[in-house]
Amino acid sequence: MRLLIAALVGTGLTCLAAGNCLAEGNVDAGREKAQTCTGCHAVEGYFNVYPSYRVPKLGGQNAAYVESALKQYRDGGRKHPTMHANAWNLSDADIADIAAYFSSVSQ
Amino acid sequence: MRKKQTFPRPALVLTLLLGMLAVGLPAAADDDDDEFALSFEDKQAACAACHGEKGDKPLAPDYPVLAGQYADYLANSLKSYGNGQRNHPIMVQQIEILELSDDDIERLAAYFAAQKGLTTISR
Repeated sequence: MRLLIAALVGTGLTCLAAGNCLAEGNVDAGREKAQTCTGCHAVEGYFNVYPSYRVPKLGGQNAAYVESALKQYRDGGRKHPTMHANAWNLSDADIADIAAYFSSVSQ
Repeated sequence: MRKKQTFPRPALVLTLLLGMLAVGLPAAADDDDDEFALSFEDKQAACAACHGEKGDKPLAPDYPVLAGQYADYLANSLKSYGNGQRNHPIMVQQIEILELSDDDIERLAAYFAAQKGLTTISR
């Protein structure tokens, strides 16, 4: 068991060492570009249609994670039709700005 | 002259060993399963190793905060790594290793959702 935990932690550390560099997004620009996002993500407890679960909270989320997720919705690594439709025409810079804005909202 | 033994001893020994092996293997495999079965606490610790004990201190900047996220969203995300809707290599690997049951997923999601963390953005 200890070995497994150690292996898991080790995997994490390796990822940290090889981790994605955080692109510097602009919070104010991100707030403007995130207008569409608020239609669902700013409504507390709002439900995704199918499968049915609440759309995630984004305030205080790590910027680099939001960047990674948005790029995957855009490029197909994550399969979610609504998110793909909203992300397909975002540039890397747009995504960095939006991520910086979500990250700046205090937890 | 005495007749030579027709059944060579090495073959006899081999047959016996194979027979024991055939009977013994399933039992040994069961023992292994028990020895390496993960408890719910083990699985929770695996999540915590990268996301923080309460899911609020991810080890790397591109790992998500889980603390305070909706439980049903977290549960759906976990399932997404197992059904091909998400393909993050580490998470897909974790899902394979941890063999989460539906009950595990519900409990893990509820635990991290109950922690203080993420908020809803405002308009």
